[in-house]
Amino acid sequence: MQLIINGEAKELDATTIQDVVVHFGLEGRPLVVEADGEIVAKEQWPDIEVRPLMKIELVHFVGGG
Amino acid sequence: MDERLERYSRQMLFAPIGESGQQKLSESAVCIIGMGALGTVLANHMVRAGVGMVRIVDRDYVEKSNLQRQMLYDEDDVREGYPKAIAAERKLRRINSDVKIEAVVADVTVHNIDDLLGGMDLVLDGTDNFQTRFLLNDACFRRGIPFTYGGAVSSRGMSAILVPGKTPCLRCFLPSADSGGQTCDTIGVIAPVVDIVASYQAVEALKYLVEADKARRNSLVTFDLWSNYYYEMKLGEAAKECPCCQLKEYPALQVTETDQTVSLCGRSTVQISGHGPLNLEQWHKRLEPAAVKVELNAYLLKAELPEGERLVLFPDGRVLVQGTEDIVRAKTLYARYIGY
Repeated sequence: MQLIINGEAKELDATTIQDVVVHFGLEGRPLVVEADGEIVAKEQWPDIEVRPLMKIELVHFVGGG
Repeated sequence: MDERLERYSRQMLFAPIGESGQQKLSESAVCIIGMGALGTVLANHMVRAGVGMVRIVDRDYVEKSNLQRQMLYDEDDVREGYPKAIAAERKLRRINSDVKIEAVVADVTVHNIDDLLGGMDLVLDGTDNFQTRFLLNDACFRRGIPFTYGGAVSSRGMSAILVPGKTPCLRCFLPSADSGGQTCDTIGVIAPVVDIVASYQAVEALKYLVEADKARRNSLVTFDLWSNYYYEMKLGEAAKECPCCQLKEYPALQVTETDQTVSLCGRSTVQISGHGPLNLEQWHKRLEPAAVKVELNAYLLKAELPEGERLVLFPDGRVLVQGTEDIVRAKTLYARYIGY
């Protein structure tokens, strides 16, 4: 399915937000996911289904300083 | 022209600040926690802008690897081995002698955070780890003081101003303080990203202090300077079950008997705290026979160990074990030489 990940069109095999996070190897990272402009709480990642051309932002929290 | 008007003339010509905003800045007090890369840029902005009182807090001392991005320090500070808060204070006083600058050399913990925030209008985050940020977050939200978050690693940066009662807090976005292994220590950092993040923090601080509430950024800005990525995420609503800003449990402020060993950002160092005050002159004498080299100044004692690592002792009881990332190894050396 084609998704817009951080502004770029990507073709990937995913049903839920959780699948997208796993696809990019980001489990366990300090991450906030926004789907079509709304933040998706981590508990909901396995339940929210993705749809073609959904705009997903994977926002890493940055810890250094 | 009045000296003060001359110094701040360009800032006062900027209409949203003006003379009344300048007056508000001069009556404000801010606390900068962490005087590394972000903290030095933040302090530079706050002091030049004429914020009345700036409290700067850091537990560390200046090293050569800091000079690439920590803009208030120079080679003299490295040679003298000064604590960052003291070296920064010295530089900041030369920049603007009107500002009251208070330097605190200390590790920020649950035991001193509330004292550090006393009398402050705003807190600026210059820390390098989420554990301390969560402590700041919880202490600020309990006291009702806004907190400007900033983070920088690699070529990536992030910033937001978090205002109690108006925006979510840091815990609403992040359930745990785990950085996922990405620190300045593991993947490095370039200086331009630091300047930009801290400048985003500083401008939100100015807006807040001059009460320009409508101008406040209500988003989390995130970017990667190397790949030209930029995104603003709406802050939205607080998480319903947030233990800090909703349930008001403030987890980081719950005093526990936890081991206070932590790893620092930026190099191979383990800090061990929990010892009572250390008399550095006494420790100089004690360590001299065993160490390869011992150096003492007014603020700290460095001892090069025959094992290859180095101990740095501070009067407040903290000891840095440098040259290892292995906590067990650090504790072994601590036990061997400090003996507690």
